[in-house]
Amino acid sequence: MVTSAPTLSRRSRILWLVPLLALAIPAATNAYTQFIVNAMLIYTLATLGFTLVIGSLGQLAFANTAFFGIGAYSATIIGTAFGLPWLLTVPVAGLFGALGGFLASAAALRGIRLYYLAIVTLAFGELMRWLYIHAGVVTGGTDGLPVPLEQDFGLSLTSDNVQFYIFLVITCLLFAGTINLLRSRIGRAIIAVRENELATASLGIPTSRVIIMAFVWSGFVVGIAGSMFALHVGHVFPESFGLTQLIIGFAMVLVGGLGSVAGAALGAIALTALPELLRAFPGMEDIFFGVVVMAVLLALPKGLAGLLGRFSPAFQQRYHRN
Amino acid sequence: MKTGVAKLGLFAAIAFLVAGPVLAGETTGLTDNSIKIGVMGPFSGNASSYSKAEIGLMAYFKMVNDEGGVAGRKLVAVPADTACDPAKGIAAAKKLIYQDKVFMLQGNSCSGVAVAIKREVVKAGLPWIVAHAVSDTISTPTVKNIFHGVPTGNTNGEAMAAFVLSKPGTKRVAIVEHPNDWAHSYTNPARAYLKAHGVDPVLDLTMERGATDATAQVLKLRQAKPDFIIAALYEAETAIFLRDMKKYGLNTPVMGTAGTDLQDTLKRVGDLDTVKNYHVLHPYVDNLDGPRMKKWSKMIHKYYPKQDLTNFSYISIGSGIALVKALKAVGPDLTRSKLIAALDNIRGLHTGVLSAPITWTPKDHRGVKGSAVAGFVDGKPTILKAWGTPYE
Amino acid sequence: MFLQLTLSGVSQGALYALVALSLTVIYRSTSIVNFGHGDFVMAGAFLAYVLVIGLGVAYLPASIIAIVAMFLLGVAFSRGLIRPIRGGPHIGLALMSIAFGFTLRGIAATVWGRDVLPMPRVFNIDPIIIGPVLITGNALFTIGIVAVLLAAFFTLLHLTDIGKMVQAVHQSERGARLIGINVGRFHDFSWGVGAALGAVGGILIAPVSLLHPDLGAGFLIKGFAAMTLGGFGSLGGAVVAGLLLGVVEQYAGAYIDTAMIDITPYLLIIIVLAVRPLGLFGRKVVVKV
Repeated sequence: MVTSAPTLSRRSRILWLVPLLALAIPAATNAYTQFIVNAMLIYTLATLGFTLVIGSLGQLAFANTAFFGIGAYSATIIGTAFGLPWLLTVPVAGLFGALGGFLASAAALRGIRLYYLAIVTLAFGELMRWLYIHAGVVTGGTDGLPVPLEQDFGLSLTSDNVQFYIFLVITCLLFAGTINLLRSRIGRAIIAVRENELATASLGIPTSRVIIMAFVWSGFVVGIAGSMFALHVGHVFPESFGLTQLIIGFAMVLVGGLGSVAGAALGAIALTALPELLRAFPGMEDIFFGVVVMAVLLALPKGLAGLLGRFSPAFQQRYHRN
Repeated sequence: MKTGVAKLGLFAAIAFLVAGPVLAGETTGLTDNSIKIGVMGPFSGNASSYSKAEIGLMAYFKMVNDEGGVAGRKLVAVPADTACDPAKGIAAAKKLIYQDKVFMLQGNSCSGVAVAIKREVVKAGLPWIVAHAVSDTISTPTVKNIFHGVPTGNTNGEAMAAFVLSKPGTKRVAIVEHPNDWAHSYTNPARAYLKAHGVDPVLDLTMERGATDATAQVLKLRQAKPDFIIAALYEAETAIFLRDMKKYGLNTPVMGTAGTDLQDTLKRVGDLDTVKNYHVLHPYVDNLDGPRMKKWSKMIHKYYPKQDLTNFSYISIGSGIALVKALKAVGPDLTRSKLIAALDNIRGLHTGVLSAPITWTPKDHRGVKGSAVAGFVDGKPTILKAWGTPYE
Repeated sequence: MFLQLTLSGVSQGALYALVALSLTVIYRSTSIVNFGHGDFVMAGAFLAYVLVIGLGVAYLPASIIAIVAMFLLGVAFSRGLIRPIRGGPHIGLALMSIAFGFTLRGIAATVWGRDVLPMPRVFNIDPIIIGPVLITGNALFTIGIVAVLLAAFFTLLHLTDIGKMVQAVHQSERGARLIGINVGRFHDFSWGVGAALGAVGGILIAPVSLLHPDLGAGFLIKGFAAMTLGGFGSLGGAVVAGLLLGVVEQYAGAYIDTAMIDITPYLLIIIVLAVRPLGLFGRKVVVKV
């Protein structure tokens, strides 16, 4: 049974401390390291959305990169077409991402499960990418689209520091929203559906609606992460949303800890930092990446969040899969 | 302000704030005996064979250093991997500019990355010589600190189309390409050139990267009966395409890009008959194993003995030669602005490696305006100026 | 043109059928989809390359050595990396297979670089021309080998004890254990067979195409599309669907647009989902609560 603590538990206090401490980061970074920190925020959000579907809901839906791309492209296309400042395109991206999530949930609802679902959602992602390449008139084709980086409400968006604060606020808001979702009745229903769908349905819980909600929220979150990515790089290319990114996203979920909110951050940070740290060994990344992931899978089945959980009760994940 | 001194102090502070960064930037990356040059390239990832261009450039720098450097300074290359990925490329550029604090940038094989980092480079204002990537949008419209040291997509596409039209009687032209920006950077200008000369392509086909079969494309081409085929395909796909052309008895001449090489293609398809109709853009003064290129091969092997030399290996050397010429023109009192001014003064420089000379003016930073073509004549790879006309 | 496209499609499709079959063997036996399978295909091709070009072994013995080596690799992978995490979530197993494939790819890239490597042709006979159709030695060879392999495989499956064992384990693991079948070793064996069959695909494609470390990705997707079309878990379905996919690709490319060739597998997957999720030969799975 899960009880909700009315007072500020130790865990909640830590959760509030992290973003407050984070406010000081730009003082310690140069443009390069700040750029990497921004990337970490973006991937943390994307991983959060991904882990919600494959961890908490337990569905092997590999559509995350598709949502990410849909968010990035919709924000850029609509922003350019209507001359909208970037900040206003963020909810647009979320909306389109949510729509994508809704479409993806249709597959899950038809009883498609496990690997079949994985393959179908993978196909969906690749189809989107083919569209980006061949719908040149709208999407800029293989040249991609530049993201308009004019000033938004007096803020200079080309500054990595400004981007950092904006991303931090958005990420914290969406993290709070997701945590609330998971703690609510719907959240518990999501976990229940993962554990045993038929039994849950027999209890009178509308499992279809639960599945759709999880997918839609995931699409929303990841779509917004996509719009952040568009701003971060300044240009959207079709190649940024392919199979390699999917695999990295999925590794981030597992290394962080399946279904773990804190794990989403840990996994994203670890696997964003790793390629930068490996700059000294060009060409060895694939091997390193493969070996690191295999090692984590063998030694840390609950990921980094599980590891931290062993040392600090504050990090104990209540929604962990055994 | 309360007192005149305070006013003066404020004025000085403001002046320093404005001028300070500019002054600091001008000599960043310089010491009395070294110049730090950031060399970005796809050293890892599935485009890593392109990074041979950056290796060639760095070998040239080492050779210059062994001959004493430039005005008492050695050229110190700081390589950074882009993996041909825009996000990673921006990280690499920022690292070079803000962490490693280089004096200038030279390199870049991938156009997507170059386009993505352009904003950063414009903001930072340091000189950037694009030494391999071909996308025209990098250097057009002209930006003060960005120089293009290789033939751009426009130049290449036009050279391909011009060669195709130089064959007497060419009326029907077909195009096969990968659906990516690399291929389009060749075929779009080629199409424009053809159209300007009254020729509309009779067939436009795509072939996917990684395809192992070109039957559909070849059969369609057989139906369309073109006089010449323009193929913007990578090495593996080119070999497969040529092989399937031979298989189905299609004998049309094919014009390829600068991404493939005659010798390598011959090696891949295994027999001369399959490649005898194949032509490639060859932006060099000689065949890769010809006498004029020998000194460059030797140079690269001196510093990178295990390096497998391909046609990519030499493409960046020309811009390196131009850089050194400009550095020598400035002399020991070096700043970024002075280097840019010296680069803007390079006129008609014959590098001894590129088939066309390099010219940079303040209004036009696309330095190389032509490319030769290579084809098999009597079984031997030969550099050509036009159909049936050798380059000399 | 139609006949030529069909022949070309069957030749390509034979390879897809092989990849789909090898994927299904693993899936049927272990309920795991090997997301790194494309890289097994690539590894088989590279092993053959090393033996033929590097050590001067003739093509046929080199192929056999490569197949055996890949069998052993599959067994080792199952034993060392899959067994420890068998009880965990499916997503972990999927990621393990991807990570292993990535590592194989990284090794290939480190040793041979990312350049494209040529392999000499197996047959240098002139193509046979029957009417408007041209048949190359390679096409004959590929179709022939795959046909023989499939015949042998299905005979083994349905007419021998081993085959009966396979079906037993798939139907009920616990039951199989109860009657004394060593399920763990059986799983290892299945991975080995799957890897070896995949390697055959690689060995057949090597002389026809060119080798590079990213060779596998395309085959993986085609394999998935064929599995989906044929019905997940159906061995015969995988083969039929593989052939169909090869042919449909060619038709779409020639009659609609060559840009369609790449997208055909994905479209097929989505169409099958929308119209008949079970595929051509799939059967509804009954899940006990």
